[in-house]
Amino acid sequence: MANFGNQHSEEALTIIENFIPKIKHCLHNTDYQEREDLEQEIKLKIIEKLATVEFQDAPSFWDYFY
Amino acid sequence: MEKDNQKIEEFFYRNNKQVNNPIIKSFLSDSKNLYLVQKAILYPTDRNKKLVDESFQSHYKNVRKIKYVSNLIYFFSLDFDKKRRRLQNRTLLILDKGLSEEGGTTAKEQIEDASNEKEFENIVGERLLDNIEDEQLLKSLQKLTVKQLQILEMIYVKELSIKEIAQILQTTPQNISNLHRKALNKLNNTLRKKEE
Repeated sequence: MANFGNQHSEEALTIIENFIPKIKHCLHNTDYQEREDLEQEIKLKIIEKLATVEFQDAPSFWDYFY
Repeated sequence: MEKDNQKIEEFFYRNNKQVNNPIIKSFLSDSKNLYLVQKAILYPTDRNKKLVDESFQSHYKNVRKIKYVSNLIYFFSLDFDKKRRRLQNRTLLILDKGLSEEGGTTAKEQIEDASNEKEFENIVGERLLDNIEDEQLLKSLQKLTVKQLQILEMIYVKELSIKEIAQILQTTPQNISNLHRKALNKLNNTLRKKEE
């Protein structure tokens, strides 16, 4: 995570914060002893993925219209 | 001005289908974006169009990211649990193994835990007064006579029967029952008074 810029981490943070209810909900997919671990792993994964995944370039707005 | 409105309306009417496309719809629901689009419709210069495009692209990417993260959370939690189970089954403790072939109960569940109850008692203490968290209740309990307190303790903490208590205190069960009722009434009265 060498090129992990400030802008990136802030964005990741807001996304994680917005997703906390969903994360909590998904914790029920595992045993209760593992939930804290899972929560941390999920957050870590989100940060990692947001930094590494190249999101497809969006189409132009005007492509939709004629 | 009216002409402008007409122009915009006509544009949206012509592209009715696209406007109802979820991504376009959410994009236009932001008044800032809507304003940019309207401007670009009225004055379709390259610059105005570019502004719309920039805003749209960041919106599009954001939606993508959110969708991606949403899926990520769900599937990651499933994978995490799968992985955990696999590891756990590979290095199963003897006590965690099922007794029969089909699993069901494990050896661990068959062991009775005698120490548990004692530990619990150690934590909360054996006296009735040690177990009270409510301050008002504590004060009211302290107003009872020693004997009443003793009886309450034996009934509710040690969970003895009325008969057993009668034997210990060398009196009749009826007497214990009476004292018990009186103690409860007194508690009830003092607590109610405080509430008022």
